Parts: sequence; C-alpha cells; structure tokens
Amino acid sequence: MVKKIAVYGSYEAKVPIKQRYWIKRRDGIRQRYWKLKKGKKTVEMKGRYEFSGKGKDLYKAVVKAHEIVPEGFVDVSAEEFLRHPEKYGFEGSWIEKDILS
Amino acid sequence: MRRTSSHNAILGVSDEETVKLDFDQTPFSRVKYWALKALKRFKLQGFIILKSSKNCYHVIFDRALSWTENMSIVAWVALLSHNEGLRRYLIMQCIKKCSTVRVSSKGEKASPRIVYRCGNQSENIREFLKNRQLIREISQKMREKRGF
Repeated sequence: MVKKIAVYGSYEAKVPIKQRYWIKRRDGIRQRYWKLKKGKKTVEMKGRYEFSGKGKDLYKAVVKAHEIVPEGFVDVSAEEFLRHPEKYGFEGSWIEKDILS
Repeated sequence: MRRTSSHNAILGVSDEETVKLDFDQTPFSRVKYWALKALKRFKLQGFIILKSSKNCYHVIFDRALSWTENMSIVAWVALLSHNEGLRRYLIMQCIKKCSTVRVSSKGEKASPRIVYRCGNQSENIREFLKNRQLIREISQKMREKRGF
C-alpha cells in the first residue's frame, strides 16, 4: 500500500515578469512573443506536494518543502525531491489562507 | 489547551485504497448514521470518526479497496446524504486521483482528533494512525527546531 504525505496550501513567491510584444513578420503576419523582464513580482498561488518514502526522508522533505514551494501539483518520492528540490519548485513562503479540506 | 499551527503549510495523509469521508457543517449524529450505513452496505469492517472543528468530521474506514470502488462509495454517500461539502470533497479527490485528509492544524483549527471508533481497526486505520503519528512527530521536531 502506497501512503503519501501531502503538504499543501497557499504561498507567496517571486516570479519573473513576462512581457508580451508583437513583431511584424516579413509575410505581414503580426507574431506574438513573450520576453522575461528583469524585475520580479510577488504572486499568491496554491500548490501541493505528495511525498512518498521512508520516515527520515519524509521528515527532511517536509522541512525542505517549507522553503521550496511547489510548482502546481507535485507527486514525487521524498528521496528524489531531496536530491533535486529546485526541479520541483521555487523559493517562496507559505501563507495562511482558507484552504478546503 | 490544544496547539495550533506554527507554520502555514498544511500536512495530510494521502492514499488511494482507504475510504475517507469529509463532512462539513454536519452534526455528529448524521455523520455516525452515514458511517454506519456505508459500513453495513459495503462491508467496510470498521471506521473511526475524527473531529476537525465544530460540526466538521472526517470518517476513515478500515477495509482496503481499489480506487474506483473507493470513489464509488464516497459518491454513494455524497449523493444520498445531500451533503454539499462531501460532494465538493469527492470532486477534488477525483481531480487529484488520491484522497487526502488533514492531519496537522490549519490556521485556528487544531489537528483532527478521534471521537468515535467502531469495528475492526487493524488494516487501513492502523496504517493511517501510523502515518498520522509520523506527521505529528515531524511537526513536533519542526516546532522544536524553530523554537515554538
């Protein structure tokens, strides 16, 4: 039986700002592009980690998850998450907000 | 006095095989009625009821089932009980493809505590309580580390 520990909630994170711009192509079509601006903006998002694994790894993963917030829904083994935490999320902080369940 | 959260992320237990029900704004008598009804109809061996806050309860059943059977039972209870909270819970679990119940505290709400036990508790309930203990230990260690 696979049991998992879920770490979820709302968080605040600084994400790069994307700017939309248009370039007129040779064939006359206006093509839309996105570029990353230098600055970052603070956004409020929701996310969830689903960790599976042994007790010690789970403990370390949960501690790490308080600094590295998830990018959407992340289902990963605690061991793998500890190896490359930056692959599954980014720096941010969890905030207290009304979450269902 | 019960402890409330020292951090803002919520910790819970997830799996696919345990039947879990989440009743919001439902009195204890109705929760017990639906838990007993599901227990008898689907031969779920046993259950525990946890109180998460005033008039909010979680029910955990003992028998291990497949994901489809699990969701079919939750849907049966949600449909017959006309409980809007349970219906919403069912939809969220179907989207995630695994069911979760909260173990840690959430804001002002303390962590859920057992208020009723019935029948066999040796399979999924035992596993759930083991995981619950692990999460509590993790929370405790984190609290000590942060000096709360």
